Amino acid sequence: MKFNSLATAVAIVSAAALGLSGCAAGNSEPSASSGEGATGGTLTLGSLADIKSFDPAQAHLGHQMPIYQAAYDTLIKRDADGTLSPMLATEWSYNDDNTVLTLKLRDDVTFSDGAKLDAAAAKANLDHFLADNGPDAQQIALVSAVDVVDASTISITLSEPDPALEFYLTQAPGLIGSPAALATADIDTVPVGSGPYVLDAANSVSGSQFTFTANPDYWDPDTQKYDKVVFKVLADMTARTNALVSGQIDAALLDPKTGAQAEGAGLTLTEYSTDWMGLFLFDRDGAITPELKDVRVRQAINHAIDRATILEQLALGQGEVTTQIFNKDTAAYDAGLDNAYPYDPKKAKSLLAAAGYEDGFTLRLPLLPGTEAILAVVTQQLADIGITVEQESVPQANYVADISGAKYSAAWFSVFQGDPWVVIKQQIATTAGYNPFDSTSPDLAAALLATQTGGDDSAELAHAVNEYVVDEAWFAPFFRPSQMYYSNSEVVEVVPQTQQAVPSIYNYSPVN
Amino acid sequence: MLTFLLKRLVAGVVVLFAIACLTYTLLYFSSANIARNILGEYATAEQLTAKSAELGLDQPLIIRFLGWLGQALTGDLGHSWFTGQSVAGALFTRLPVTLALIVSAIIIIAILATLLGMAAAVKRGWIDRVVQTAAVIGDAIPGFVLAIILVTLLAIQLSLFPATSSISPDSPASAWVASLTLPVIAIVINGVTGAAQQVRSAVIKQLEKDYVRTLRSRGVSERVILFKHVLRSAAPAGLTVLSLQFIGMLGGVVIIEQIFALPGMGALAVASTTLGDIPLVMGVVLYTVVIVIIVNLLVDLANGWLNPKVRVS
Repeated sequence: MKFNSLATAVAIVSAAALGLSGCAAGNSEPSASSGEGATGGTLTLGSLADIKSFDPAQAHLGHQMPIYQAAYDTLIKRDADGTLSPMLATEWSYNDDNTVLTLKLRDDVTFSDGAKLDAAAAKANLDHFLADNGPDAQQIALVSAVDVVDASTISITLSEPDPALEFYLTQAPGLIGSPAALATADIDTVPVGSGPYVLDAANSVSGSQFTFTANPDYWDPDTQKYDKVVFKVLADMTARTNALVSGQIDAALLDPKTGAQAEGAGLTLTEYSTDWMGLFLFDRDGAITPELKDVRVRQAINHAIDRATILEQLALGQGEVTTQIFNKDTAAYDAGLDNAYPYDPKKAKSLLAAAGYEDGFTLRLPLLPGTEAILAVVTQQLADIGITVEQESVPQANYVADISGAKYSAAWFSVFQGDPWVVIKQQIATTAGYNPFDSTSPDLAAALLATQTGGDDSAELAHAVNEYVVDEAWFAPFFRPSQMYYSNSEVVEVVPQTQQAVPSIYNYSPVN
Repeated sequence: MLTFLLKRLVAGVVVLFAIACLTYTLLYFSSANIARNILGEYATAEQLTAKSAELGLDQPLIIRFLGWLGQALTGDLGHSWFTGQSVAGALFTRLPVTLALIVSAIIIIAILATLLGMAAAVKRGWIDRVVQTAAVIGDAIPGFVLAIILVTLLAIQLSLFPATSSISPDSPASAWVASLTLPVIAIVINGVTGAAQQVRSAVIKQLEKDYVRTLRSRGVSERVILFKHVLRSAAPAGLTVLSLQFIGMLGGVVIIEQIFALPGMGALAVASTTLGDIPLVMGVVLYTVVIVIIVNLLVDLANGWLNPKVRVS
């Protein structure tokens, strides 16, 4: 009898499980507007990455940018072409030595919990960001004080000039949430901002889907184009492609290989670049690989790389070959530096010989899982000029820690090309994570100082920095890969956002 | 019966504790870069030190483990280090998806495998040959290849099913059906043939036994012999295969879940393990072990019910 009742219980559980998949025939999720409030219906986006926390201080913006932008406004808005325009701050200006930035705030903004935006709220956010040790905390590490000037004005004081501060206020440090909510544990999962949309927490699953509905009290109705915005986290490339091709999502980032399938399905491509990829030649003082101290060796490596072939074979030609690390949209860029080291193995060998290494040498490179093909090509092309590459497998989770921890004298990577000062802070300055051996020189230091204190001319002054690191062959860049963003042009119009992983939430409009 | 259950319960708790210790220790030794993973590539050394201290990563293993255990014993599995959501909450939203997927697949496999296996054993001839050949093919083709073929054909070309999951907390039962159909089919094709093969050989073995001959000589109908006696004796073999398949699927559906973007345990397990989200990994492991223990217990009880000889007194 006991067994029979157990069997019944099992049967009920099984039936319940089947019941979940048991009744009703498939009416798929409605994708059209419900017709109230805003007019744009539903926008469904595929996101490559999950969000870690909705706490602005714990935000890291890359692929997650539009998710945060749905919930939070930023102090300054970065337009599609990279120009900075007013958002929560209506105007801002620096003092004479670029160490105090004063921002005037809107006075008609309320957060989704009913609190009003004022100078004290903005200060509370920046203080919280500085204190909370989040992923992007170092972006405003130079901020020494945030002060309330009057009810709608704050001033941000820097310990030394930071030409990227205004840019950073369009990023994680600029996200402004309701001060009362920032202190609570709920902020990790439920954002309380003033953004165009409000999270529908009941219909969101971390790591899978975030559903937002239009914020009924939004101060800028022109920015709020949809009734509902759904982000589906689709980390797997195949799943993302399938979801897009079958119409489950309206837009998503794919890659050159899956792009062909998307084009076959009639989707529209939006192309832009965000990264450069290639070799970092970290050990410019020869600490672990003495050969790399000689600039001719670093230049030889640059001449040994057949960039056009690598681009064609590994990225199906989707990108632009380059030998510089600064992006095309900044004044630091120099078209001439895109081909500073043409493919020339003969010249590479003679440079090596001139440096006294005609017999070559051994270079140890870390191997990031998934980049076997790239490293195989690098290994081959360097072998052609006599450099033996020893590959060392490094688990994905350790890769950044290892290469920024001075474990390797050189490494392959794909990194962000932001504003010139952002690039400098991440890849060139002695404090940069990707300058693990703290390489520098008096000439470079002078060019860096000029850039840092250059105010409005900062980006142009960074040109000298660009020239220096190209001449000195600090890097061996291969190309700027194209971000291949596909969308269904029958339902959505997408404007690319320069130097950003995916377009901002403001860049989508419904097609009527 | 009660002592049997009690014994199993105690054994289960011991296993659970042992696995918790082992997992925590393994995670401890691979936790060097957790602060870096949380804070990302641009974090400074000072940031990393502060984060490690905040999470207690600078504490010795035993202190960390006891801290975790103390909390776990009070029913608090903590919060994810990466997303801040409660571990129990994360599991609660994801477990139903994975269980619905696996339980549906196992039930269908059980029914189909029994029918196919018995047909092959009783009729032999071409049915048997088809089942035997299909078993080899079904085992040889990985589930994810089947999954991709199914998506391409039925979801993208013919638009019969969603290509990726449309399951969310607000989705109606129909979304569950539509989203789970293709993954279940992929798992069933992969699993049914092996199970059918087991049922087939068990049934053949039983049909050769003396009691079958005796029953036949008494004039008991072939149908009664087959369904009342033979199937009952052959069932333990099938049940064992099914339970092994079920347990295998708990880990094996990871790839299927990824292809269909199902918000199940698989994706959670993979992501939390690669990142080093220790509270979440521990939660996933504990729940998985509990499910495995329960399944094994159910199979033992079912075997006892089917076959009085193995019943414990």
